[in-house]
Amino acid sequence: MGMIATAALVLVALVLGAALTLLVERLSTPHHVEPGPAQAADVRHSLVIANSDRWLLPAGPVVALTGVALALVVLPFGPGLIGRDLGIGVFYVIVVIDFVVLGLALAGWGANTAHAVEACYRIIAQLVAYVVPLGLAYVGVIMMARSLSTVAIVEAQSGLWFVVLQPIGFVLYLVTGLMQSYRAPFLEPFAASIGGGVLDVSAGWSALLWRIALAGVLFLVAAIGALLYLGGATGPLLPGWAWMIIKTYALMALMLWLGRLVRPFSTAQMLALSWKLLIPLGLLNVLLVGGLILLGVGP
Amino acid sequence: MTSSGPSPILNDYGFVALVLVMALGLALLVAAAFLRAPGLLMRTPSIWGQFRFGYAVYALIFLAFDMEMIFMYPWAVVFADIGISAFLDMLVFIVLLGAGIAYAWGMGGLEWE
Repeated sequence: MGMIATAALVLVALVLGAALTLLVERLSTPHHVEPGPAQAADVRHSLVIANSDRWLLPAGPVVALTGVALALVVLPFGPGLIGRDLGIGVFYVIVVIDFVVLGLALAGWGANTAHAVEACYRIIAQLVAYVVPLGLAYVGVIMMARSLSTVAIVEAQSGLWFVVLQPIGFVLYLVTGLMQSYRAPFLEPFAASIGGGVLDVSAGWSALLWRIALAGVLFLVAAIGALLYLGGATGPLLPGWAWMIIKTYALMALMLWLGRLVRPFSTAQMLALSWKLLIPLGLLNVLLVGGLILLGVGP
Repeated sequence: MTSSGPSPILNDYGFVALVLVMALGLALLVAAAFLRAPGLLMRTPSIWGQFRFGYAVYALIFLAFDMEMIFMYPWAVVFADIGISAFLDMLVFIVLLGAGIAYAWGMGGLEWE
């Protein structure tokens, strides 16, 4: 298959995955729950904001969309069904997925409205909260798989899924994944009290691109979770890609459901949760996994 | 030495660059499709300069910890091959990190100001 066709398939996978994610979210969100990033979009109008920055505001959704598209390159949907198996696989994912944060910050600051600039500050604070514990959850998996490659991580789980061997890491991933995708209870940057934050200053093309990027982030977070802890695109009877899709959306449903059981966190509470509980837990998880490997447990 | 075609790394990241360009193209297409959409004007006063942020110390500690976490990645890849000595090395590293968090916490760094 040619390079261009493969690249086009990566983008098709992103749009389809994001569309299905948005559908799942819209259908599963009760009326009394804040929809956060999945709120309805005004795609009939375009929007001009009086004092906004001419370049930063439109750059936001474009940067976010490219970040999500780039992260999807290393996601394996089965043998051969992968954009490219980069050697630095999951590390590359951690880096490029944060372009979503950059895009949200650019648009929030560039819009120059009270709601959007407030959202910009909350977005960056959220990054400060989740990146380190999320990275520590990845480290445990990398230690057992002995590789950063996404394909090697799936192969390492052919005997036993890492969710069984690293339950603390899995819980860490669930919590920090919800932070990374801005879903309840961590949707303060998109809270209704600030008009949906950055989405308040989007309409038309930017509203559409934001929905693809923000649904794409949740899709990616669930897919990477399925890859790291649930054995990725492997399973009996059904083909690999079917298992990958089942695991991704099952994990997404679990995360959304668990997230809605908890009262929404303010940004300050989220920072405290991360640094006083999740990061010490993540360091403990690295030591526990190291001990397990020394005892001969794992692949 | 004979070389046939570009190196695998160039090929891989050439593909990444291609996805980047095509994603930009997709964004451009979507934007072009809305060129004729009726426009709304939002008038709000400029509010740059009216905000202060309450997590400056968090952000500084974050920079240090983010870099320290990056050092863990190469270690994690080779950990299982090296064994106990790698574990003890990392134990020292994590104890230092833990001491860092305890110090920041004790000095009131983990507070919203």
